[in-house]
Amino acid sequence: MEDDRDRGLLYDSDPSSPSLSPPRPFALTFFDRERHVKFLEMMYHMLPRPYQSQEINHLTLAYFVISGLDILDALDRVHKDAVADWVLSFQAHPRSKADLDNGQFYGFHGSRSSQFPSKDNAIFTPNGSHLASTYSALAILKIVGYNLSNIDSESMLTSMRNLQQSDGSFMPIHIGAERDLRFLYCAAAICFMLNNWNGMDREKAKEYILNCQSYDGGFGLSPGSESHGGAAYCAIASLRLMGFIGDDCLSNASAPSSKANIRSLLDWSLQYGGFAKSPGVLPDLYHSYYGLAAFSILGEAGLKPLCLELGVTEAAATGL
Amino acid sequence: MASSSSSSSEGEGRRAWVPLASRPEFAGVTPLPQDDGPSPVVAIAYRDDFRETMDYFRSLYSSRELSPRSLLLTSLAISVNPANYTVWHFRRQVLEALGADLTEELEFTEGVAKRNAKNYQLWHHRRWVAEKLGPDAASRELEFTRKIFCLDAKNYHAWSHRQWVLQALGGWEDELDYCAQLLKEDVFNHSAWNQRYFVITKSPSLGGLNAMRDSEVDYAIEAIHANPENESPWRYLRGLYNDENEAWLNDSRVHSACLHVLKAKRNFKFALSTLLDLLGLGFKPNQEIKDAITSLRTSDSGEAGSDSDLANSVCSILGREDPMRANYWTWRSSKLPQAAEV
Repeated sequence: MEDDRDRGLLYDSDPSSPSLSPPRPFALTFFDRERHVKFLEMMYHMLPRPYQSQEINHLTLAYFVISGLDILDALDRVHKDAVADWVLSFQAHPRSKADLDNGQFYGFHGSRSSQFPSKDNAIFTPNGSHLASTYSALAILKIVGYNLSNIDSESMLTSMRNLQQSDGSFMPIHIGAERDLRFLYCAAAICFMLNNWNGMDREKAKEYILNCQSYDGGFGLSPGSESHGGAAYCAIASLRLMGFIGDDCLSNASAPSSKANIRSLLDWSLQYGGFAKSPGVLPDLYHSYYGLAAFSILGEAGLKPLCLELGVTEAAATGL
Repeated sequence: MASSSSSSSEGEGRRAWVPLASRPEFAGVTPLPQDDGPSPVVAIAYRDDFRETMDYFRSLYSSRELSPRSLLLTSLAISVNPANYTVWHFRRQVLEALGADLTEELEFTEGVAKRNAKNYQLWHHRRWVAEKLGPDAASRELEFTRKIFCLDAKNYHAWSHRQWVLQALGGWEDELDYCAQLLKEDVFNHSAWNQRYFVITKSPSLGGLNAMRDSEVDYAIEAIHANPENESPWRYLRGLYNDENEAWLNDSRVHSACLHVLKAKRNFKFALSTLLDLLGLGFKPNQEIKDAITSLRTSDSGEAGSDSDLANSVCSILGREDPMRANYWTWRSSKLPQAAEV
């Protein structure tokens, strides 16, 4: 019932009205770029109510939107300076150099709900900055062309070491949370984007990654866990970013396989643009972003190529 | 009256929402509105109850009030914003300050899990509670994850939690039996195969991989014969011999199982790829295996000569049988050592 109400609210229609039924996917024979651009542009201006339960990941939602528009070569729909200002306002700053010894991480908050106004001379200065939010923040800043050397990266990287555990893994936030490969990836991407590896012990990180490899050859999110596609990405991308895997470890990526079922991918495009988790369901940002990324990897015309390890376009990664 | 019970937070569903400003228990709290900062982009269309709940949370959190009404507020905030780790963290601080009954807290988490059992913060919180309760909590935690698996046999969080419980709190005694039971219900359940591997390698009462290998090879091969198209037991079998290539090459049960599947001429993808791996390590196949491979080739290019010709044959058959990975089998073929000229 709750989900139906939320779906009804997707486009601000009357929540009690049943008029907005889930769309049926229809057969497309081409990639409708403009439709996807419109979908993301709409999200850029306002995320519908159901996203409030994902509010803590606000910066990551923004990353999906902005990177998605970048892949679609539609960054002109975005006010880059406004975006940079907004992202920078989430940064946590130590009050003094002494703060860097207090065990906290000074990165970026992920949302206003984890960011609290700090009062002068307060004993308690809440700091909710988070590794994943920091990755999203830096990725967005790179995409909109912000010069990362303007950021206080020393504090960020010095304090990031507080998050690395003795087994090489990373906790995302100093107040305590689960730790697994996802945050190790975030740490590696952060160091890579800032071009400074003072933020982590790469050897220990590599050890943890190798301990995550399952008996079946895949990678789990933590040692002993079942092989998982997302974990495999985090593991390999991290090793590559940290410089442990070179270009010659495998032959060059082959051209898009003619056996890939592009047809069914196209079928998932809905009348609103974007992609959904499965047919008959409304689109959401997460699946839309990774759908676009998939089409980029498959070489769809009009989509910018991706820097796979960083999760942004190549243009954003190299700053051109 | 503050309560951490799940029924309280469930009952505070949006349909029965009473503004916090009208509730006597929150009298005197000045809500702290959200400062959206400069030029907000990707703005969220918050609902009023969400906004008000978070404004009150901000207030109590900033003033460090560790009270029963703060505990209630975290229940409300969790119901609208269940992934908010700041709220969960504050809840832990309040629970500690109040010396709250943590077995009641387990019930609270079960209520949250009913709405969404795939929430990282929930599971981290559950782990925190269980750790505080200690080894006595082990059986309840195993039972909790068991219930989750009845609804979703592959809930990744629940499996992580279960592995943590076993290692931190104990309860290994029945775990191998539990894996066997899950595999009896669904032999394709890769999570259960993974757990089985975890148990045989880590359980303090089983003697480790070397002690368990022999019986586990038989177990895997039995599953292979029943369903040769099931990738899991093939991977498991290989995994039993990780870092023990010589032993793997010399265990005749392995290549016998491959041959058995090949001769049936159905569902032989994994039998072939296993043979390919064996050949790559120097395995010398007997004539029966060579003939079985040859009979699966569609083109008549004569007898399979050297082992490298055989390996190439295997790759091309796999390219035909496993077309989704055609490029991969071509690449494997290119990586085969070239046969020495006779």
